[in-house]
Amino acid sequence: MAEKKSSIKTMKNVITVKDLYRFYQVGDTKVKALNGVSFTIRRGDFCSIVGTSGSGKSTLLNMLAGLEKPTKGQVVIAGNHIEGMKENELVRFRQKHIGFIFQSFNLLSTMDAVENVALPLTFQGVPEKERKKRAVRMLKLVGLEKHLDHRPTQMSGGQQQRVGIARALVVQPEIIFADEPTGNLDSNTSAEVMRLMQRIVKEHNQTMIMVTHDNYLAQFADRIFHIRDGKIQKIEEKKKELEE
Amino acid sequence: MRFSDMLKMSLSNLWKRKIRTFLTVLGVVIGVASIIVMVSLGIGLRTSTMEDLENYASLTQVQVNAPFDTDSSSKKATDYYLSDETVERLKGLEHVVGVSPKLEAQVVAKFGKYIANYSLQGLPPEAIEKLNIKIGEGELPKPGGELSFFYGKFSLQDYYDPRSGDMPFWEKGKTLDVDLMSKPVTVYLDGDSYTSAMYGDGGGEDGPVKMPKKYMIPTAGIEEGFNDSESDYTATAWGIYCDLEALKEALKKEYKNKVIPGQPTSKTGKPYKEIFYNTLLVDVDAMENVTSVQKAIQDLGYNAYSDAEWIAQEQNSMNMIQAVLGGIGAVSLLVAAIGIANTMMMSIYERTKEIGVMKVLGCDMRNIRTMFLMEAGYIGFFGGAVGMGFSYLLSAIINQLVMNSDSEFGGMTISIIPAWLAGLSLVFAVLIGMLAGFFPARRAMKLSALAAIKNE
Repeated sequence: MAEKKSSIKTMKNVITVKDLYRFYQVGDTKVKALNGVSFTIRRGDFCSIVGTSGSGKSTLLNMLAGLEKPTKGQVVIAGNHIEGMKENELVRFRQKHIGFIFQSFNLLSTMDAVENVALPLTFQGVPEKERKKRAVRMLKLVGLEKHLDHRPTQMSGGQQQRVGIARALVVQPEIIFADEPTGNLDSNTSAEVMRLMQRIVKEHNQTMIMVTHDNYLAQFADRIFHIRDGKIQKIEEKKKELEE
Repeated sequence: MRFSDMLKMSLSNLWKRKIRTFLTVLGVVIGVASIIVMVSLGIGLRTSTMEDLENYASLTQVQVNAPFDTDSSSKKATDYYLSDETVERLKGLEHVVGVSPKLEAQVVAKFGKYIANYSLQGLPPEAIEKLNIKIGEGELPKPGGELSFFYGKFSLQDYYDPRSGDMPFWEKGKTLDVDLMSKPVTVYLDGDSYTSAMYGDGGGEDGPVKMPKKYMIPTAGIEEGFNDSESDYTATAWGIYCDLEALKEALKKEYKNKVIPGQPTSKTGKPYKEIFYNTLLVDVDAMENVTSVQKAIQDLGYNAYSDAEWIAQEQNSMNMIQAVLGGIGAVSLLVAAIGIANTMMMSIYERTKEIGVMKVLGCDMRNIRTMFLMEAGYIGFFGGAVGMGFSYLLSAIINQLVMNSDSEFGGMTISIIPAWLAGLSLVFAVLIGMLAGFFPARRAMKLSALAAIKNE
């Protein structure tokens, strides 16, 4: 596994999507949520997918994270074709390669910050001492050293989302998906959280894909995918890669 | 995921919903307690019934008598007299561990103006030993030496006044006021002749019957609870026992060349040289072999009788009672199991989002299922453990109530909880819990991870 992981790290294209389609049957009408989408995402990219409600951006994210199956097309993440994986394989795949940040934080209310952050490590079977150490380190990284033993209900929305970010990062995933990560936060806190994500992703050279409907927040990313009616309209490159 | 982490997580999930968990556990407590108590009643009933049976029947013994039918067309009747030879022959049968001959004599004892007729039983020492008599005073009759009697606790209840016909015990509950241990008893070994002589039924063709010789027979011992009518019933309560060889000697002396009553005679009406036994007591190695031994002896042409059939019937009805009681208990445990399933289903609906989040964060599907099974198992375990304690309490209360009551069960331990019953119930409760949680757990496992990112 370690070998595979290192080979993934050196790969340039971490996500390749080819001719992705997703149709829904709603009553008599066929809804084309994704209507032929192709793109690649390089390692270290901070990408945002922007679109209005119903544009297909959430469907795309679900498909990238393996939560939904495409009607047709390919999704290759870190060298793995995830469109053909069984649910159990997907779970294990996510466990190793993917971090997830939710709009509504989705922290477990009975656990304190450290336990929440350590949860993905628990699923991996990491011993308690070790996962506690790593969780505390992560919480310090997101600036919550004073809230280690606080429960979600004792924290503000911004703090909760920082716990969510720490939880997504604790397994050191190659790719982090964020679904409207600031959707439940006010604009000041939103910007703060965005800057935090930006910084951490850069520091660890991780790939981040964020879905948002907010054009302003999308600007924090390096690349912006504009999506409409299930198709990518344009890809905005915020800055030139220096190496190129 | 580590097993210990799963245990911890499912426990904390239960703890999160204390009231619901408590109520579900309560259902299991009632289910388990009712099963244990019901079965314990069945066991108690069976145990006391078996004890009762043992008190008035030897459960591994076959009684053998000479066939009544001495038809000349069948084999010669003399072949079937119970002799020492027969004893040896029966000893050779499979599953037979011992054969004891029994010789009976109808004797009369005299206590002042009262007399008592009884059937004296002569047994070899090892057979007397095997009767398991609880000795009150003295000792069992010793082999060799002179004739001495051992009295069962109720053996002298049938005394009466021959002149007035009074039977003080049966009429007034008065027992015979004698000290058997200190004074020998006046006994007429030829009881029949004594009766004839006393009441002169005219006698036979030889003229009036002569008064038989009287003997002073010392008492070897008496059974515990002698003449105490409150005392428990035993198989030996009505018996008077003596040593077989001593009795043989005494009878030979008493009757000389005459025919001893009850003994067969030759065609010419002369007595045989040998004294034949009335009964052979055949001891079988185990209860389940009694029927086959009985059959084998019957096949030899003897009458054989045992309590096996009757006991088997008793046991069958005990089994029935136990099954019915257990069934009643099982119904309440079934209801509890439905309760567990219901609780788990509710829990899944409530935690749909949480389960989805766990799946997105990489929790293995099988781990989710295991944790749900564990939760259900915990409910079963806690319910089982508390139910076990509760049933010990109930059992004690029932026993206390019954013990002090005047019902037919009075003084009996009616509820018995053996360790295996308690242990088995606990295991059963956990299994039932997990069984009830199985389908909910599968459902939880199959829940869509997508639910996690849907925002309400």
